[in-house]
Amino acid sequence: MIERLIVLAEARYTRLVLVGLLFLSLQTTIFNEMRPFGVCLQVMLLLAASSGLAKGSQTGAIAGFIIGLLYDMVLTTPMGLCAAVFAVVGYLAGFVHTFVHESTWWSRMLAALGVSAIGMIMLPVAFTITGADGVLTTNVFLVAFIVALFNAALSLPAEWLCNWAIRDESAVR
Amino acid sequence: MAGYSFTRRRAILLLSLTSVLLITLDLRGSSLVNFTRSAFGVVFRPIESATRVVTRPVQNTWNGITKYNDVLEENRRLRDLVAYDEGATVAAIASVREAQELLALNGLPTLAGISSCTAQVVGQSPSNFAQTVELNRGSECGIKVGMPVLNAAGMIGKVTDVYSKRAVVMLITDPGYSLSVKVVNTPPTTTTTTVPGDPNASTTTTTTTTTTTTTTIPRTTTTTIKGFKPGATIAPSTTQPSSSGSSTPTGTVGPNQPGQNDNSPITVPPGVDLPLRETGALEGRGLSKNPIIRFIENQPRFGSVAVGSPIISAGGATSLAPPDIVVGTVSRVVKRTGTLGPILEVKLSANLNSLNFVRVLLYQPITERPATP
Repeated sequence: MIERLIVLAEARYTRLVLVGLLFLSLQTTIFNEMRPFGVCLQVMLLLAASSGLAKGSQTGAIAGFIIGLLYDMVLTTPMGLCAAVFAVVGYLAGFVHTFVHESTWWSRMLAALGVSAIGMIMLPVAFTITGADGVLTTNVFLVAFIVALFNAALSLPAEWLCNWAIRDESAVR
Repeated sequence: MAGYSFTRRRAILLLSLTSVLLITLDLRGSSLVNFTRSAFGVVFRPIESATRVVTRPVQNTWNGITKYNDVLEENRRLRDLVAYDEGATVAAIASVREAQELLALNGLPTLAGISSCTAQVVGQSPSNFAQTVELNRGSECGIKVGMPVLNAAGMIGKVTDVYSKRAVVMLITDPGYSLSVKVVNTPPTTTTTTVPGDPNASTTTTTTTTTTTTTTIPRTTTTTIKGFKPGATIAPSTTQPSSSGSSTPTGTVGPNQPGQNDNSPITVPPGVDLPLRETGALEGRGLSKNPIIRFIENQPRFGSVAVGSPIISAGGATSLAPPDIVVGTVSRVVKRTGTLGPILEVKLSANLNSLNFVRVLLYQPITERPATP
C-alpha cells in the first residue's frame, strides 16, 4: 500500500499537479494583488508554456491540460475551457521549439513570449465562443503583451522547474 | 516514429474530447462539475490561505511601492468626506426612518424588512476577463444564487455560485449582469402663486424653478412674499368667463361655485413636486466601461434626464433586487433620434476596485429560484 503511494507520488504528473497547486495558490494570492498596468499576470499559463518548452509538444499538451484544469477549478468560466487553451499553449511551445536548431536561452524566452501572447488572445476568444460577452476588446492586446513579457522573463526558471517536475520516473529512481 | 505519432495524435484527440465534454457538462449545469469545484475548493482553501500568509510581506511591499501616493491622497480625500458625511448622516437617518415608516404604513416592501448577511470580500477573480469577487460566507449563512449584494455605497452585484463557506459574486459591471432600475429625474416645475390681500399684486405671479446645484441635489428657490404661507399655494388666478360673458374679479376667497373662477385657496400637497421616475434596464459593459441604461422611454412628461440624477433599483416581481437600492448616478446622456429613448451612462456609487465588507440581502428573486419539477 505504502509502496503504491510512493510510486504514485513519484509519478511525474503527480509532481506536476503539486507544482500546479503551488502555482495556483500564487496565482490566486500574490499575482492577483500585484497587477502591473492593471493586468493580472498569469503564472499558470507560464507553467503550461514552460512544460512544452521543457518536454516537447505531446507532454506539453498533457501538462497544459492538467494545469488548465486546475485553473478552471477556481474560475467561474466553463470547466475545461482553460484546460483546452493551455493544452494548445503547451503543445505550441513544444512544437515551435522543434524548429530551433540549437536552442539558446533567448530563443526559449522568445518562444515563451510568443506562445503566452497567443494563449492570452485565445482565452477571450474561447470565452466568447462559449457565450461570454464583452471580453473580446482591444484591451486583450495590452493584456497579452504584458503577460507575454512577464512570462518570457520568468520562462527559464519555470522551465527548470518543469524539467524537474515532469522528468521520467526512471530518472527519479 | 509511426507509433509515436499515433500516440501523440491519440493523446491530443483525447485531450480535445475531454475538454469539449467538460465544457458541455458545465454549460448544461451538471451537478458533477459543481461538486468537483466545491470539493476542490475545500482542498485548495488551506493551501491558498498558507500562501496568502507567506506572500503577505511581498504584497505589502508591492502595494507600498506602487500605491503609497494614492493611499495618501485617498486618505486626505476620505477625511474631508467623513467630515462632510457626519453632518449629512444624521439628517439622512431621520429621513430614511420616516420613509420606512411611510412605506410600512402603506404596506410597501422596504429594505428594512429583508434579512441580510454581512460578508467580507476575500478575493477577486484571478482572470483578466471575469468580473467576480469571492465572499467568505456561503450557504451556511443562508446565501443562495441570485441574491443581490451591496455595500455601504450601493449595489455591487449578485451571487452566482454558493458553497458552504464561500460565495462568488458577479459584479454589476459584468456584461452578463442586467437589472431593472429607476431613474429619478427632477424636471423643471413652475408654480404660479397669487398673493391675496395685496392690491398691487392681485395678479402677481412668482415663478419657482427647480435648479440643480453642483452637488446635483435639486433645490427649490424660495421667495419671501408678504402674506404667503410656505407649503400653501393659492391656485392660479386664471379668469373663467362666466355665462354672462363677464369675468369675476380675483381675490374673493371661498369655495368654488359653478361658473365661478377658481381663485379659492387650495393647499397643494408637496407631492406635486415629487421627482418623476422612469424605468430602464441597466447593463454592465466590463470593468473599463461604465454600465448603461437602455429602454428609457422618450416621454415629454419625464423631461430630459439630467446628469447626476440618482438611479435606484426598480424592484418588482421579476427583478433581481428589491426596490430602492442605490445604484449610482447618471454620468452621461446619449440622446437618440426618433422615438428611441436616450441611453444613460451610469457612474456607480460603489467603488468596485476596493470592496471590503458587503451585505448579501437574503432575497432570492423569482427568476433565480430553481425550477420545481
